[in-house]
Amino acid sequence: MIELQNITKKIDDKYLYHDLSLMVPAGGRLLIKGESGSGKTTLLRMLLGFDFPDEGKVMIDGKKLGLENVWLLRRQMAYVSQEMQIGRGKAESFIREVLAFKNNRYLSYDRSKVLTLMDDFHLAKSTLDKRLEDLSGGELQRLAIIVTLLLERKIYLLDEITSALDQHLKELIVHYFCSLDDKTLVISSHDAIWHDQNFPTLNLGKNGSSS
Amino acid sequence: MEAAPDISVLRLMAAFGLLLVPVALSVFLKMGIVRQLFVSAGRMTGQLFLVSIVLVYLFRWDNPWLNIAWVIVMIFFACFSAMINSKLSFRHFFGPVFLSYFLGAGLLLVFFNRVIVNYENIFTARLMVVVGGMLLGNSLNSTIIGISHFYESIKKDNKRYLYLLSLGANQSEALLPFFRDAFLAALKPFMANMATMGLVSLPGMMTGQILGGANPETAIKYQIAIVLAIFTAVTISVALAVYFTARRAFNAWGIIREDLFRKR
Repeated sequence: MIELQNITKKIDDKYLYHDLSLMVPAGGRLLIKGESGSGKTTLLRMLLGFDFPDEGKVMIDGKKLGLENVWLLRRQMAYVSQEMQIGRGKAESFIREVLAFKNNRYLSYDRSKVLTLMDDFHLAKSTLDKRLEDLSGGELQRLAIIVTLLLERKIYLLDEITSALDQHLKELIVHYFCSLDDKTLVISSHDAIWHDQNFPTLNLGKNGSSS
Repeated sequence: MEAAPDISVLRLMAAFGLLLVPVALSVFLKMGIVRQLFVSAGRMTGQLFLVSIVLVYLFRWDNPWLNIAWVIVMIFFACFSAMINSKLSFRHFFGPVFLSYFLGAGLLLVFFNRVIVNYENIFTARLMVVVGGMLLGNSLNSTIIGISHFYESIKKDNKRYLYLLSLGANQSEALLPFFRDAFLAALKPFMANMATMGLVSLPGMMTGQILGGANPETAIKYQIAIVLAIFTAVTISVALAVYFTARRAFNAWGIIREDLFRKR
């Protein structure tokens, strides 16, 4: 469960959010709409403790996000953003490296699981042997998503993940995430395809926000 | 072999006469570098002249403590000039860079003098001051390139860094790929240089030794050893500098501080 309580944040004397409150229950969905610069990304980063409100509280699973729990709470969340350089070297080595992080040791590398996910996202098997710097934007985007899915997080924060993809891939990804009933999804996008899902929507505008 | 003949002041003036060519070209093409050229050439002449006086006395007295102090002064100036050419903030980086450089180059200097040359008095001016200068002059720039690359790429590829944190990486796990890249940035140009040494360029130390009357065979051995020592000094200094600075460069949330770079 995600809760924002009376969040206010100013950038250069302009309100990005003014007294913004909202709640997304476990397994719920939230779509954040707004032009670029309206604070969509900042809102997602605030949930992860990468950015901070001037006033107000961020609550994850009923706990106020703070220094004492941020590293733990981040592990409840998966964060994928658009056009992200995720690393260098072979794709498979990258996945192995992520699963070998101390915090992820309880998971083991299961190649067949990775291949199933790659199949779900229409990525060729050979992608695993390619180098990350040789992958196209769309391939990289899907690989970044697959890595987060392997970590089995409860909350997915998806920042414009479909905007650079073609229609066919957009549908594929939207469809996949909509089928994850037990996951909490917070999506920032100006893609019509997400709007058609009739998720609860937050509109970030120029003068404060409304929901 | 005999030592190289001295150059008379008059003949040295002929070397300055060479400057007429770049000056004429600068005036002709309106490059606007004449002033800067004279300042740079003047500084070089003045600094080298002063150093020659210092060296005369360092060699005459040959006091180990004085020699060590001179090496520390050299490190200080080397740090200063290398940092001016980077965007790193002096407040955050000067101390750690100085210390890591002192340890990295210092260790290699002692190793070179003790193990490789195996000279009885390793603090003698001939080894300490001359080899020290060689080590310092050639490794500090690569070290600074490595450290700046580390912090600049974390700032530039901040999404990648935050993505790694969100994937469950702890601070050092998220920094590791950037550390790897920084090492490559510092060492790769050096390796390329090493691979063409002798074919494309005759290194300065070798030239100096041969002019000074040394057997080319001896000069080559010194050159090989010093290049390897420089390479290792860079490796150690980059690693230590990142280690010394990383803890203070990020806040408790794991986010990189804003004031690591100088504003221009």
